[in-house]
Amino acid sequence: MTTPKTRRDFLRDIGVSATALPFLLNLPCFAAPGALPRKRRLIVMFSPDGVVPGTFWPDEEGTEFTLKESLKPLTPFKDRTLILRGVSDRVKGDGDNHMRGIGCLLTGIELFPGNVQGGSDTPAGWASGLSIDQEIKNYLQKNPKTRTRFGSLEFGVMVPEHADTWTRMSYAGPNKPLPPIDDPYQMFGKLYGQSKDREMLKSVLDDLREDLARVRRNVGAEDRRILEEHTSLVREMEQDLREAGRTAVGHAVPTLPAGIKRDNDAIPVISKLQIDLLVNSFAADFARVATLQYTNSVGQARMTWLGITEGQHDLSHKPDNDADAQTKLTKINAWYCEQLAYLARRLSETREPGGTGSLLDNTLIVWTNELGQGNSHTLENIPFVLVGNGLGFKMGRSLRYGGVPHNRLLMSLAHGFGHRVSRFGNPNYCGDGPLPNLT
Amino acid sequence: MTSTSPLRFLRTFLTGASLIVALAATAGMGSGRDVSAGERVYRQQCASCHGDRGQGGPGYAAPLTGTRTVSELAKYIATSMPPGPKHCPPAEAKKVAAFIHERFYSPVAQERNRPATIALSRLTVKQFRNAVADLVGAFHPAVPNDPRRGLRGEYFRNRDFDVKERVLEREDPEVRFDFGTDGPVPGQFAPHHFSIAWSGSVLAPDTGEYEFIVRSEHAVRLYVNGDAPPLIDAWVKSGNDNEYRGSLFLLGGRAYPIRLEFSKSTIGVDDSEQKKGKPAPKASISLSWKRPRLTEEVIPQRCLIPTPNAPTFVVTSPFPPDDRSMGYERGDSVSKAWDEATTAAALETANYVTARLPEITGVPPDAPDRRARLKTFCRDFMTRAFRRPLSPEKERNVLDRAFTSADPAIAVKRVVLFTLKSPGFLYREIDGAPNDPYNIASRLSFGLWDTLPDPELLRAAAAGELTDRARLRQQAERMAADPRGWNKVREFLLAWLKVDTVPDMVKNKSLYPDFDPRVASDLRASLELTLENVVRSESSDYRELMMSRSLYLNGRLAKLYGGDVPADAPFQKVEFPASVRSGVLTHPYLLAHLAYTDASSPIHRGVLVVRNLLGRVLQPPPVAVAPLAPSLHPNMTTRERVTLQTRPTACVSCHNLINPLGFTLERFDAIGRLRKLENGKTIDATGSYQDRQGKKVRFADASDLARYLSESEEAKGAFAEKMFLNLVKQPVLAYGPNTLPGLKRAFGESRYNIRRLTVDIMTIAALPPGAPTRSTTPSPTRKVTTR
Repeated sequence: MTTPKTRRDFLRDIGVSATALPFLLNLPCFAAPGALPRKRRLIVMFSPDGVVPGTFWPDEEGTEFTLKESLKPLTPFKDRTLILRGVSDRVKGDGDNHMRGIGCLLTGIELFPGNVQGGSDTPAGWASGLSIDQEIKNYLQKNPKTRTRFGSLEFGVMVPEHADTWTRMSYAGPNKPLPPIDDPYQMFGKLYGQSKDREMLKSVLDDLREDLARVRRNVGAEDRRILEEHTSLVREMEQDLREAGRTAVGHAVPTLPAGIKRDNDAIPVISKLQIDLLVNSFAADFARVATLQYTNSVGQARMTWLGITEGQHDLSHKPDNDADAQTKLTKINAWYCEQLAYLARRLSETREPGGTGSLLDNTLIVWTNELGQGNSHTLENIPFVLVGNGLGFKMGRSLRYGGVPHNRLLMSLAHGFGHRVSRFGNPNYCGDGPLPNLT
Repeated sequence: MTSTSPLRFLRTFLTGASLIVALAATAGMGSGRDVSAGERVYRQQCASCHGDRGQGGPGYAAPLTGTRTVSELAKYIATSMPPGPKHCPPAEAKKVAAFIHERFYSPVAQERNRPATIALSRLTVKQFRNAVADLVGAFHPAVPNDPRRGLRGEYFRNRDFDVKERVLEREDPEVRFDFGTDGPVPGQFAPHHFSIAWSGSVLAPDTGEYEFIVRSEHAVRLYVNGDAPPLIDAWVKSGNDNEYRGSLFLLGGRAYPIRLEFSKSTIGVDDSEQKKGKPAPKASISLSWKRPRLTEEVIPQRCLIPTPNAPTFVVTSPFPPDDRSMGYERGDSVSKAWDEATTAAALETANYVTARLPEITGVPPDAPDRRARLKTFCRDFMTRAFRRPLSPEKERNVLDRAFTSADPAIAVKRVVLFTLKSPGFLYREIDGAPNDPYNIASRLSFGLWDTLPDPELLRAAAAGELTDRARLRQQAERMAADPRGWNKVREFLLAWLKVDTVPDMVKNKSLYPDFDPRVASDLRASLELTLENVVRSESSDYRELMMSRSLYLNGRLAKLYGGDVPADAPFQKVEFPASVRSGVLTHPYLLAHLAYTDASSPIHRGVLVVRNLLGRVLQPPPVAVAPLAPSLHPNMTTRERVTLQTRPTACVSCHNLINPLGFTLERFDAIGRLRKLENGKTIDATGSYQDRQGKKVRFADASDLARYLSESEEAKGAFAEKMFLNLVKQPVLAYGPNTLPGLKRAFGESRYNIRRLTVDIMTIAALPPGAPTRSTTPSPTRKVTTR
C-alpha cells in the first residue's frame, strides 16, 4: 500500500465516506499532523415575505424525508441539507412584524423606537445590537490566522435604494446598519479594483518613461537631477507592481458582461453574477462571512421570468384558500431555492485552495426569511434551511424544535466557529444556549 | 549685527533667506573666531594665488573646493602651503582651514554661494490638489458670484419636499432653530408634519478635515459636495440619538454645495391623519461644524451662500508635506512617498472620472458618437492639464493608442492616469521656451491661484496677448480680484504672521479662567476678519493693517477684551484708542500665540517682528535654553527676567535686536489682554530698534512700533519680498538685481496697496524683464543669473 497523499485519500483508505468527511475533519484526532485547522465560512441568504408552509416544510423528521415543491431544487444536496422547523423570532417591541422580522433576524434584539411607521404597531428605528454575521466577522478578524482582507461582504440583489428598517439585515452595532451592495459592478470594483488599477498602471509606464526622457533632454544639468530621481522612482514603481502582481488574487479576475441595468427583470442575471462573485471572493479568501439579500423585507419582486406579474409582497397577503396565489408563492420560493442550489453547486465545484475538498465542505449557507408565512405575518417557524458542511453540523436531516427562540440558533452559528458566546442579542431568549442536536 | 564679515552681511541682506541661518549655524561659536582670524591670514598669504574667494587666480587656476574636513585641510596646509621651504604654522593653518571651509571650500559653502536661479519645481501638494479639482471640474467658479450670505430655506407642509406644498421660502443666516411643539410659523404648519430643506454653498476657509454636526430630535439628512451618498443620513430616527456627525476633506478657498433636509413626519406608512389633534413633540435643529483644528460652532453666516456651487472633486489620497524650510511651500524635491501619493491620487481621480463619465464628460452612455466625443474630452483634459496645446507625439502615442481599446471608458481612464503622472502635468513650465505664452499663463495662474490657467487665460495665451505687458497685467488684475486670488493672499498673510498652521493655545486655567478653546477659535476668526476686511477693501492698505485700531469681537471675546458688545452678539468691528490696539501686531490672537501658558513672551514676539516683519536674519540660539520660570523670580517683571536670562555674551548679539522690540508689547498679557501692572509694578513698554543703516529708533510703546512698521522702508520691503517668495516660490534675486527695488518703489506708488503688489509681483514673475529666452536645444544651464 502506498502512502496516502492527502487527508481525503487517507480517510478513503480507512473507509470513511465522503459525507462524513468534513464533520470528521473537525475532530482533532482526524486532522493531519501539523496541518492548519480548516477554514470555516458562513453565508446568510435572505428572501422575503414568508413561505407557503404546506409546500415548504418536509412532513418527516430525521434523516429520511422528502423535499417538497419549494425545496425541490436542493435535491442534489439533500444529504448536505439541514432543515430546522420550529425556530421562532421571539423578539418583541417597536416596529411591525416585517421590520422586526428582518431587523431582529440576525441581531436577536429589539429595534430602537424611531420614526419608521409600519402598517401596524408603533414606529421604530434601527436594531439595537450587532448582527451575528458581524459578531463572527469580528471574531475572525481579531485573530491574525483567520483575518481576511474584508472580513465580511454584504451582497444584495435589487435592494431598494432607500435605507430604512425594511431594507437592512446586517448591523455593525446598535444603530449601525450595513448597506448591502446590490450592483455587481460596484462589488467587482470593491473586490478587484486594485488589481485592475495595477494592470492599468503597468500599461502607461512605457509612455511615462518616454515622456520623462524627452523632458530630461530639454532641461539644464542642474534641473536634470530632480528628473533623474523621478525616473528612478518610476523604475521602482514598476518593480513594486511586479511584486504586487505576484501576491495578488490567486485566481483569474472574472469578467462581467457590460451594460446590465439594475431593474426587476434583470434579477436572475444579477443573482447569478452576485453568486459568482461571492464564490470567487471566498476562493480568494477575501472574506469568510457573507450575506446575500434578495430585495428586502416586504420585497416586491415581480418574477415575470416565471410568468408571474404580481409583486411578491402583494401575493403574500392572499389567503390560504387562494390556490392560484399559493401556487405562485410556491414557485417564487422554489426560484429562491434554485439560487441557493446554484450557490451550493458553485461552492461544491470550487476546490478548497490550499486544502482538500471543495468550498462547500467548509462553508455553511443559512437560507432564511423575515416571516414564517406572509398572510399571517407570523414570526413563528421562521424558515431556516442550512446547506454545506462548514460548521460541523450533522447534515442530511429534517429537524423540529417546537418553537425555540432563534437567538439560540444564532449562538450555534458562533459556536460553530469556535466562538463560544454565552448569549447573543436579548439574553432573555438565549435559554439553554446553542440549539441541541445540531452536531 | 548678526555677522561681522562684509561678504556674509551682503549675502544675508540680499537673499534674506533662512537657508543661510541653517547653514551658518553649523559653524558654531568657537570656530567663528577662527574664521575671522583665518580670513586675515588668507588675505595676506593665500589670496594672491587662489583668488579672494578661492575661485583661483594667476598662481593657481583651480577653485578651492572639496570635501576634506577642517582638520584634514589644516594638516595639508601646515605641511605644504605656501609652497616652498617654510609652511604655515599649525595654529594659523587651523584658522585658515576654518575660514576656507566655511566660506567656499565645503559642499555646503558651495551650495550657499551658488547664484540665485529659477529651479525646476514640481507642483506643491496644494497646487496638485487644486489643479486636479479644476481639471475634473472644468473650472467652475471657486465661489459662486453671489454677495449674499446665508442659506436658502424652503418650508413644506408635507414630508417629501413637494413644491406644491411649499408655504415659505426665505434666507436664513444660519441654521439654529427651536420650533418648540409648534410649526416654524405658528398656524401655517401642522405641528406633527412639516419638512424643511436648506440649500446653498458652504465656504471652506482652510484645507483639511471638516466635521459637520447636525442636532435634531427628528429625521435629518445632510449632503455636502454632492448628491450621493449623504454625509449624514439620519432619515431613520432611531433610539435617543439626536446628534449626528460626518467628516470630509475639503480644499480651502472654495465653496461646496450643501443641502440639509429636516422632516418632523414619520417615514414609511403615512400616519398624519391619526395624529391630528394629538400633542406634538418638540422640534429643533442646528447645523454646526468643526473647521480643521478649531472648535465646534454653528456654521456662521459669513461661510454660507444661498446659491449652490457645482460639486468639486477633492483628491483625498494623503501626501507627504512639502518642504517649508524657507517659510513657504515649495516643490524642489521628489521622494518615493511623493511618487506613491501621486500614483494613488491619479488612480483615485481616474476611478472618479470613469465612475461618473456621463456627468463629467457630458456624453450619454448611448450616444452614437460616444467614442469620438470621449476622445475629444480626453484631448481637452490633456490640454488643460499640460496647460498648452497637445503635441502631435502625445496625440499619436497616448491619445490614439488609448482609443484603440474596445471600451472607450477604459481609454478615458488610461488617459487620465497617464496625464496625472506625466512630467508635463507634475512639473512647472517644463515644456516649451521659458517665455512662450503658455508658460507665462502657467506662472500667472500658479502664482495667483495655485492652480492651472483657466479657459480665459489659455485663450489669452493662444491669442498671443500675454507677451504684451499691459494685457498681461489686465489678466493679473482679473485674477487677483477673484476669490482664489484672495485665498492665496490670505494664506500668505497667515504664514507671514506665523499662524498658517493653527497653533495650540492652552493657558493657565487659574490665571485665565475664561480663556478656553472656543475663545482661541474665536480669536482666529477675529484675526481672519481683520485681514479680510483690510486687504480685500479697495485701498488694501498695508499701513492700515499695521495701524488699525479696531478689533472684530463677538460677545464672548468682548467679555475678555473689552468693547460694548452684547453677550450673544456675532462678530462686529469695535474701535479702540491707539493706546489699546495698534495694528495687526497687537491682535490678541498673535499676542496670545506668542506667549507662554502663564506669561507673555517678549522673545517670541520680538522674533516675529525681527524675522517676519522686518525681514532680518537671526541665527538659532547657540545653546538650547529653557525659559526661566516666573516662580523662580517672583518679584521680577517679565521684562526683568528676560533681560537677566539673555545677559550672557553668547546671547546678546541677537537679543539686543529681539528684546527691545518684544518689550514694546509688554502691556499685553499671555492672552493678549491689556494690563497696566505686572506683579504690582508698572509695565515698562519702551523699546528700540537699530536699523540696517545703523540708525537707532526709540519706541514709547506698541503704538510707536506700529507706526514705525507702517512707515519703515525696511518693513515694507520685507513684506514685498516675502510676498514674492510665497507667490512665486523662487528667490527674487533670480529675477534680476532690480526686481526687488522696483517692486518696493511700485508698492509705494500704489499707496502700499497689497492687492496691487500681488499684481506687480506676478506681472514681473510671469514674464521676467530681460530674461534670456531658453532655447529648445539642450543648454548647459537653465537659469537666470544675477551675478
